[in-house]
Amino acid sequence: MNHIIELQRVWKRYDTGGEVVEALKDVDFHADPGEFVAVMGPSGSGKSTMLNVLGLLDTPTEGTVSLDGQDVTDLSDREMTVHRKRFIGFIFQSFHLIPTLSALENVEMPTLFGDDPTARDRATHLLERVGLGERLDHRPDQLSGGQKQRVAIARALINEPRILLADEPTGNLDRKTGRSVLDLFDEIRREDDVAVIAVTHDPQLGDYADRTVELIDGRIQ
Amino acid sequence: MSVLDDLFRRVPALLMARRNLSRNRIRSGLAVLGIIIGVLAIASLGMFGTTLRTGATQQLGDIGNEISVSPNFQEGIEELTERDVDEIRRAVTDGAVVPVRSESKLVSRGDRQTVTTVYGMENPGALYEAEQGRVPDRLRQGALVGSGTAGLLDVEPGNTISVDGRTYRVAAVLAEQQGISLVSPNNAVIVPIEDVNGTGYSQVVVSADSGQAANESAVAIREALNEREERVSVFELQSITAGINEFFGILNAFLIGIGSISLVVAGVSILNVMLMSTIERRQEIGVLRAVGVQRGDVIRMILAEAGLLGVAGGVIGAILAVGAGVALNAFVLNDPLATFQAANLLYIVLAVGFGVGTSVLSGLYPAWKAANERPVEALRK
Ligand SMILES: Nc1ncnc2c1ncn2[C@@H]1O[C@H](COP(=O)(O)OP(=O)(O)OP(=O)(O)O)[C@@H](O)[C@H]1O
Ligand SMILES: [Mg+2]
Repeated sequence: MNHIIELQRVWKRYDTGGEVVEALKDVDFHADPGEFVAVMGPSGSGKSTMLNVLGLLDTPTEGTVSLDGQDVTDLSDREMTVHRKRFIGFIFQSFHLIPTLSALENVEMPTLFGDDPTARDRATHLLERVGLGERLDHRPDQLSGGQKQRVAIARALINEPRILLADEPTGNLDRKTGRSVLDLFDEIRREDDVAVIAVTHDPQLGDYADRTVELIDGRIQ
Repeated sequence: MSVLDDLFRRVPALLMARRNLSRNRIRSGLAVLGIIIGVLAIASLGMFGTTLRTGATQQLGDIGNEISVSPNFQEGIEELTERDVDEIRRAVTDGAVVPVRSESKLVSRGDRQTVTTVYGMENPGALYEAEQGRVPDRLRQGALVGSGTAGLLDVEPGNTISVDGRTYRVAAVLAEQQGISLVSPNNAVIVPIEDVNGTGYSQVVVSADSGQAANESAVAIREALNEREERVSVFELQSITAGINEFFGILNAFLIGIGSISLVVAGVSILNVMLMSTIERRQEIGVLRAVGVQRGDVIRMILAEAGLLGVAGGVIGAILAVGAGVALNAFVLNDPLATFQAANLLYIVLAVGFGVGTSVLSGLYPAWKAANERPVEALRK
């Protein structure tokens, strides 16, 4: 019962004007601290939807979401935002760095609105850790894809989250670069006891995952 | 620079706003230009009004300090008596009382001659200053010649002129009076009062030390002389100045109203710019929200952007407006420093305030829209 995050009987329906799309059907899912879970499945099977529900970006139509043992299904927008900041780090396929901010500022960004005197030191340290100690002041357009994803990973770690959610983190990277990003994930979950949940089509991710969950047509197989 | 850095660290919304604005400099620049024009329009039209008012007030001179008492012809009173003058003297506590008799007469010097108004006055020194020569406190002999008449007859102090055959030595040529005057000396000749026919007076001019004293005297004179019957009519030039002030007040409000229209247009352009830039940054704002930035902070960030546009436009607009004001005052009033007066400061503050206010107001809708977008939707490609 020490799941850091858990979905119970989660349904997600989209009402698209007459036709109802069931993106998640009765999904039970959990992840433990330090666990690396890969979520696989064909396109349109509901992987991103599930990740959004796990990341408190979206609420399920039915079922419950628990975070660190607490029911967080029906929180207000403000509370969800607070929980996202405290518990969850996001990594996106297309990195989503802010183009006007330097690498360092991008990493600091989640702490920017709020009094956090040690944020700059932590951000510097994290960038050094992901191998970008020399690139602190570079803008995203001055970085390679792999470097951008490393900045994004550092950003995801700045608030010391318990869960890392990654939607196709290696989707825009070549094999070798993808591998180095996965190595980084592996290191993080071992050293920081963070649960890593990654949606992927990348077969090499299977080598890293403790467990692979297969979603087909909104159902976990 | 470190002060700015410090500010940015303390107010992260400003840092983000500043960076976002520098993303599309031309667009931001054009939005600022709109505000500059609006602020410039309001401030410089306001200052233009002040300049007009100052110019008009200068034209009017001290007339607000003078009142004129004349016989009430409607009641059949043709002239003011010695008793009336005494009563006026008693009523006026603070100022000089100058009884006046007037007639049109032929004035000549050598072979030049002209028909002008001749005023008989005992103490013209209370009203006029000399351009050449000296105006005596009591005019017992000799004549004072107004500048226009002096030019016409080519006289200067020491010459003799003849008024209806009577010879006078010219004691002084009077300084030309600018603007309106109750008894304008410019085209007149002033002689001792006994020399003008009659026993009564055609009018009595009271020259008080201030507009307020003039007003008090007018009230006192009406009380003293018009108690039983409406013997005299009292004319206060102050009523003109008050009317003129009111007119310029309306004119200014009108000018500023016109200026405000351009600011409204600028506001619409800021609304457009902010809306476009928030739509372009949809995903980014989604990311901000995903990593734990609250709605309120997103709103603050976008309002800070709009506010920065407004402040930049306001400051530049204010500087340009001061420049325009200096140029205008140098040209119209010959006094560039007339720009720096309280009324103008008020217009500038008002214009800048309007500029910033309009910008922030225009940022409200885009900010609200961006903050209320659900991050899931924003992050979908
Ligand atoms: N906002 C939405 N409105 C309507 N339908 C939606 C919405 N979001 C997702 N869907 C539908 O839900 C289903 C699951 O979508 P989801 O994005 O989770 O798929 P996915 O597994 O991530 O696919 P991919 O591998 O292509 O990213 C799809 O059929 C999709 O069309
Ligand atoms: Mg997806």
